Amino acid sequence: MPLDIVSMFYSNSIIVGIIVGVISLYAISREKWDVNMIILSDVVELAMLIIVASVGSDLAEALILPGLVVGMAELLAVSEIYISRKNISDEKIRCKSKSRKVKLLEEFTIKESPNLNVNFTKMQILETSPKFLAVILIIYGAILSGFTGGAVMASGLIYYLLSKRVLGEQITKADFLNIWDGFISFSGIAWALWVLGFLGFFIMPSKWPVFLLVASLGLVLKVGSKLGLIGHIWKP
Amino acid sequence: MVFSTISGFLYGIIPLGDIRFYVTDFSIIGFIVSIIFTIIVYFSKPEKQVVAQFNSFGDKYNYVTPNELKIRRLMSVICGVATAFAMLTCDIFNFALFLAVIGLSNIGIVAAVKKEWVLNAAFHYGIIAMISSLPLFGAAALILAKSGTLSILELAKQNNDLLFQKAIYAIGMVGETGVAPFYAAKAEMFRAPGAPYILMIHLSSLLIIIRTVEILLTIS
Repeated sequence: MPLDIVSMFYSNSIIVGIIVGVISLYAISREKWDVNMIILSDVVELAMLIIVASVGSDLAEALILPGLVVGMAELLAVSEIYISRKNISDEKIRCKSKSRKVKLLEEFTIKESPNLNVNFTKMQILETSPKFLAVILIIYGAILSGFTGGAVMASGLIYYLLSKRVLGEQITKADFLNIWDGFISFSGIAWALWVLGFLGFFIMPSKWPVFLLVASLGLVLKVGSKLGLIGHIWKP
Repeated sequence: MVFSTISGFLYGIIPLGDIRFYVTDFSIIGFIVSIIFTIIVYFSKPEKQVVAQFNSFGDKYNYVTPNELKIRRLMSVICGVATAFAMLTCDIFNFALFLAVIGLSNIGIVAAVKKEWVLNAAFHYGIIAMISSLPLFGAAALILAKSGTLSILELAKQNNDLLFQKAIYAIGMVGETGVAPFYAAKAEMFRAPGAPYILMIHLSSLLIIIRTVEILLTIS
């Protein structure tokens, strides 16, 4: 007989929701500051969600979302009312000399332009992080040694080259493409050798030692080139 | 039973997928009344308010800006439509959602007047509406958990002992829309400029209260 967890927790979670609601109501009754009243009444709505969720069926899942949306709408409406009321009372204090418009979530908007006199290319992290990340990606790609390994390695190399360009070193687009073509053509030759070796096993099974050497040559070229690239990056 | 005839003859059910409406004598009258008043509110032009001036000659007119008027008319129409469909709905949870929408639009109607005392009352009404969503939706969830259905017609057939849940549901209804006229009066909306949309608050509150009583007597 399966243990029915939902009905085991049902009455407990109902009690938890009601206790949260009652404690929040007591806090609201003691509270004098209006912002805290808004936040505490939102806590009451969360207690409502607890009670709805404790039903624990698919229907409860469908009921939570409308309840949550209604709660959010009421919270936004009450906050707007609070802000416009505060605005009116502030204007009254200031004798209507300056009419200042207060909007919702005003704290998160940029009022002044930020200080942009930062020399980004002189940052220490841009010097060290590309090498570090590229070496990690290349070592990981060499260990993987397959299609995924090649993809990981190539992404590490592209990241290194692009960050070099951002730092202002003289790697033009032609140079970049040249290096890239070198990688892929070298990798392609090694790949072709490896495939040739494997084809030979099926075409001429009697000559298997020769084709084993061909395949291993391709493999050595690929993995060896990968490990050689690490040295290239580490000491340019 | 005496109360079995309160909603009158059942004319039929309008199934719209998950949303189901049912038409009885009671609900169709409420629906038509609410729609008629919504149309009246949409086409009516609010009066200009005259403030009598003491110690001087002549009266002072309070003009209402068109922006302020538009949002209040929109809120009144939303309130009327939600009231109309709350009259017909066949689902306790949908009824609770309609109640919440009516409460929101009532807050909007009250809060569109940019006077400090009116906004004060609207703020407190909003707090009460947020708090009372706990008993309202919580009672709907408790009814669902106890009886396994939210349909009013199904609940009328079964015989669950739902006294406690129905009491909580009534408390939630009172907090959500029932107290709206009280807060409108507390805000002295009748004295605020451009007040006639307050009609919709009273009408929706009245219709919702009698509809809730009908639902609570029907389900068992």
